[in-house]
Amino acid sequence: MLKVDNLQVSYGNIAALRGISIDVAAGEIVAVIGPNGAGKSTLLLTLAGVVKAQRGEIRFDGRPILGLAPEKLAAMRMSLVPEGRHIFGSLTVAENIALGATTRRDRAEIAADTERALQMFPILRDRYRGRAGKLSGGEQQMLAIARALMSRPKLLLLDEPSLGLAPLVVKQVYDAIFELKQHGLTVLIVEQSVNRALTAADRTYVMNSGAIAMSGRSADLHGTAAFDAAYFGMAGGVAL
Amino acid sequence: MIVLQNAIDAISLGAVYALAALGIGLIFSIMRLINFAHGELIMMGGFTLYALAGQPYLVMGLAAVIIVAILALGMERIAFRPLRKASPATLLIASFAVSYLVQHIVLMVFGSRPMGVDFLAQLGESIEFGGLRVPLLQLAAIIITLILLTALALFFRHSAMGVQMRAAAEDFTMARLVGVRANRVIAAAFAISGVLASIVSLYLVAQTGTVSYKMGVNMVLIAFVASVIGGMGSLIGAALGGFLVGIVSVSLQAYLPVDLRPYRDAFVFLAFIAFLLWRPQGLMTRRADMERV
Repeated sequence: MLKVDNLQVSYGNIAALRGISIDVAAGEIVAVIGPNGAGKSTLLLTLAGVVKAQRGEIRFDGRPILGLAPEKLAAMRMSLVPEGRHIFGSLTVAENIALGATTRRDRAEIAADTERALQMFPILRDRYRGRAGKLSGGEQQMLAIARALMSRPKLLLLDEPSLGLAPLVVKQVYDAIFELKQHGLTVLIVEQSVNRALTAADRTYVMNSGAIAMSGRSADLHGTAAFDAAYFGMAGGVAL
Repeated sequence: MIVLQNAIDAISLGAVYALAALGIGLIFSIMRLINFAHGELIMMGGFTLYALAGQPYLVMGLAAVIIVAILALGMERIAFRPLRKASPATLLIASFAVSYLVQHIVLMVFGSRPMGVDFLAQLGESIEFGGLRVPLLQLAAIIITLILLTALALFFRHSAMGVQMRAAAEDFTMARLVGVRANRVIAAAFAISGVLASIVSLYLVAQTGTVSYKMGVNMVLIAFVASVIGGMGSLIGAALGGFLVGIVSVSLQAYLPVDLRPYRDAFVFLAFIAFLLWRPQGLMTRRADMERV
């Protein structure tokens, strides 16, 4: 589904990604974890076409996509839920959801998908005609995911979906992600919350200082000394 | 009765300012460009009327609307699209460059003297009801502005492109991430801006009966002030700002002591400086900007 090879990105003189290679198979949930500033968000923004890469290759669905505009990638059904959610606060919940289907023309199916999204997140139905900016943080996260799903993505990119949310809301968000996986959605998820990521994902990449420090099946990584070393960037690991 | 008469003057002038301010505000809200060359779009509308003088008024008017809309699209394509990622300051300077370039091309071709054009001169007549004398042009300005504002409001609320434009105005990158095509929304904004500019040219030519290479300059300054007063980036604000500038101008004209009236514009700008000191963000503030602060 997604194959990233030796991806390099720098902001001016500062290297943000130093040769990242990852792959995501169809139907998988893959997590990228790592400390603040590891380059996780840059990775997702580069995949989605917002940030330009200097070198490397990205293949999505078998096609090279490096350098394509965000709207082109959206039309190819890659969907990003960015960190901070970025819902359109001055627009209504209904308009936000409708915008998620911008690249589609199949009206009847869009209506059916809207109904499905509202069943998944019933709170959005209650707020449907209200301004999205009035929603709570958790509700905004749900709206951001609902909006992303409206494009019927082949690949959903989620950046820190649990950031700043109450634990109960985080659970709701992750329940939704699991449900989507049952329907065959492929998800690449970036998380700072290690436990969340390791329990949710089939496979996990650990990123540190713009490089992949470690990767493997999530179940195998948890609690090992090597994992701690990769995550915290030091040998032996330190309990924090 | 005098008060009512002044109110009609104020609202009709404000209506024209509102259209001009909307043309500026719409482009700013989407791409952070303060387009001073908007004045030259207004001017080119005037020269389209001049070129077609003698044709039926409807033909002249429609041609001006269509040609200015096309010129606005061309302006975006040639001058502003290559600068899409540039800073707002660079965009502003570029708009000055376009403005001067177009002005001086017209100056070279047509010279500096205003040229007479007959366009809807009959609108200079007035109708009377109940002791009020209302020039037809003022009435037309108010009615056409109301129609355009209503049409724009419906467009932004109910059409897919309108909703996409509002989304792009709030968060351009996120709009692209959901699949909104950057080139299309910006082109649409310029086309609408061009139509608004052309309506202002129709008004100016009908009012003065002349065209000149500088005819858009004053209007674009006022429109800029109005959009700042309204709150840069807010379309409702731009329209309100336009009406407010019109109302303040006419009121000062009517109620300043006679020997101060020649300096009316100084008082107008003084009033708005005071207003901005009190409320620097303008009348309406975009929620997104508030949050960033």
